[in-house]
Amino acid sequence: MTTLASPDRSIRKGGQAKRHGRGLTGLLLVSAPVMLLGWLIIYPIFNAIGRTLFVKGDAGVRFGFDSYHQFLTDGYSLSNLWLTLWVTAVCAALLMATCLPLALYLRFAKSRVAALVQGLALFPMFVPSVILAYALIRTIGPNGAVDLVLNAVGLPKINSPYLTPWGPIIGLVWDNIPLTTLMLVAGLGGVSDNAVEAARDAGARHFALLRHIILPQIGNAMLVVLSFTVLSIFSAFTLPYVLGPASPEMMGPFMQRTFSQVLDTRMAVTQAVITFIICAGFGAFYVRSIAKNREARR
Amino acid sequence: MAQLSLKNIGKSFDGTDVIRDISLDVEDGELVCLLGPSGSGKSTILRMAGGFETPDRGAILIDGQDVTRIPPEKRPTGMVFQSHALWSHMSVADNIAFGLKLRRMPRREIQEKVAGALELVGLADYGSRRVWQLSGGQQQRVAIARALVLEPKILLLDEPFASLDQHLREHLREELRDIQRRLGITTLFVTHGQDEALALADRIVVLQGGEIEQVASPDQMYRAPETRFVAGFIGSMNFLACDMRGGRSDHAVFQIEASVSDGPVELAIRPEAIVVTPSATSTARVHRTTDYGTHILVDIDLADGTRVKAMCPPATRLATGQPVSLSADRVTVFRGTEKLADVAPVEMREVAHV
Repeated sequence: MTTLASPDRSIRKGGQAKRHGRGLTGLLLVSAPVMLLGWLIIYPIFNAIGRTLFVKGDAGVRFGFDSYHQFLTDGYSLSNLWLTLWVTAVCAALLMATCLPLALYLRFAKSRVAALVQGLALFPMFVPSVILAYALIRTIGPNGAVDLVLNAVGLPKINSPYLTPWGPIIGLVWDNIPLTTLMLVAGLGGVSDNAVEAARDAGARHFALLRHIILPQIGNAMLVVLSFTVLSIFSAFTLPYVLGPASPEMMGPFMQRTFSQVLDTRMAVTQAVITFIICAGFGAFYVRSIAKNREARR
Repeated sequence: MAQLSLKNIGKSFDGTDVIRDISLDVEDGELVCLLGPSGSGKSTILRMAGGFETPDRGAILIDGQDVTRIPPEKRPTGMVFQSHALWSHMSVADNIAFGLKLRRMPRREIQEKVAGALELVGLADYGSRRVWQLSGGQQQRVAIARALVLEPKILLLDEPFASLDQHLREHLREELRDIQRRLGITTLFVTHGQDEALALADRIVVLQGGEIEQVASPDQMYRAPETRFVAGFIGSMNFLACDMRGGRSDHAVFQIEASVSDGPVELAIRPEAIVVTPSATSTARVHRTTDYGTHILVDIDLADGTRVKAMCPPATRLATGQPVSLSADRVTVFRGTEKLADVAPVEMREVAHV
């Protein structure tokens, strides 16, 4: 009896060895993406920060914040940063206002029209940004399709948003609708039909349902959506470059121009680091929201 | 106190009739159980009563008032869901108070009503807890309190105890029955558990394929099933095929006399209606015995290969392979789905002497 009950040490050792083997396989599997992350993201970040802080001069390498000081005291650079923040905030607000009703409809509608609406909502995902920019110029640009239609019915031309801050706003909102909608629909998937029905049973009409039941339950999902949207819009390049104003300009085109036309590499890297710091703030917010979501699910 | 009436209601989904033509009256303070297999339409009926589905045909009346097209938020019904459907971002008290707040009741009155509802379901000190801090049984009690606090005319329960373990289920259904009797609230209860229906209901409605098979008290439903489906669905039942010739069955063991036309029939006999006696000359043999503590269930192989189940007193001692003779004190005769007669069989020898 004792023999049967006592642990078999050789089997235990085998088990541990197996576990160690599995652990090694796991480390090997994860090592490739970690190395890529280090090579393509972590190293360039530290390299860029180093290049902005250390300058090679006649007297050797010098440490200083002068490039940051230059950026933060230059009115044009600051107005570019504010424009980028403003466009990002307006886009985030418009995206939420557009995509939340759309996601609510897709989540709760039972009709066949919902499938058609979903198809239309996801369509912009398959249109490249440069094609979208060209299409918007042809539609709402000077003498575009809208102007032609208005002219045909004897109405005056529109004040075209092309080459104003509203140009990239329209393009970025249109471009980000699919992903934002998909993320919101996924968040709404966590609100059960029974939870909604129980609220209706208690007397909640549409607005009360949204305010007291649905929005509190998708709060974390909305934070994730906002962080993700802000990250992608803040660092956008193509649409602000093609549709946006020349001055002030958004950070993406500003960086590119500083690098390739002004040929001030150090300032371009400084602009990139400042952009990265702002995005990293939103990124931290995004990671915190994801962690909170996981905790809530537990 | 209120009465719920379903008048010839019908419902189709994608062209398939889920509910065909159902009429049912639930009287003041009555607890009616809708019982049936999956897909029988019981939950659809309940959801139509609650306003979550609209019938394609017929009308739903509460106290004589037509509520067929009235949405759930304006209907005087309270629903308890199988999944509890509590709102996890609110405390227990907030869950219960939600409907009262929407009705803009004074805060003090809300607090009193919430405390009363929690007291009613035995959770007096749990108001400040989050719902995820409660066990499954406690969550279901909160769901019941949330439905009752709004003082609905009709209480609707959709398999409320299905996700709970057997012991808790039995305990909660007793509590629910006590609360329902105390408040005298008209209740429609959906379940697929026959024991739950038999223990709770004033009347049971057995459904199959979107149609009512039988409406009866639990006692009648068990002892006098009107269709073969009900006989087989409620409790366990032995079905033995044989022929009736000249008013007599030709079954080798259970020979009955009934004024039934000649032709094939099925004899339906409850396991507890079968009396098992050791008999060295019998061709029926014990296949297996299972001791349930309160009774012994004996599986017996008949000479024709049919196996019947008999419920015997706990003191019964039968060995596997032992020959036994069988008699039954009540037999129901079915032909197809139709019930032909309820009879008490005579002894084989007596039949032979007639």
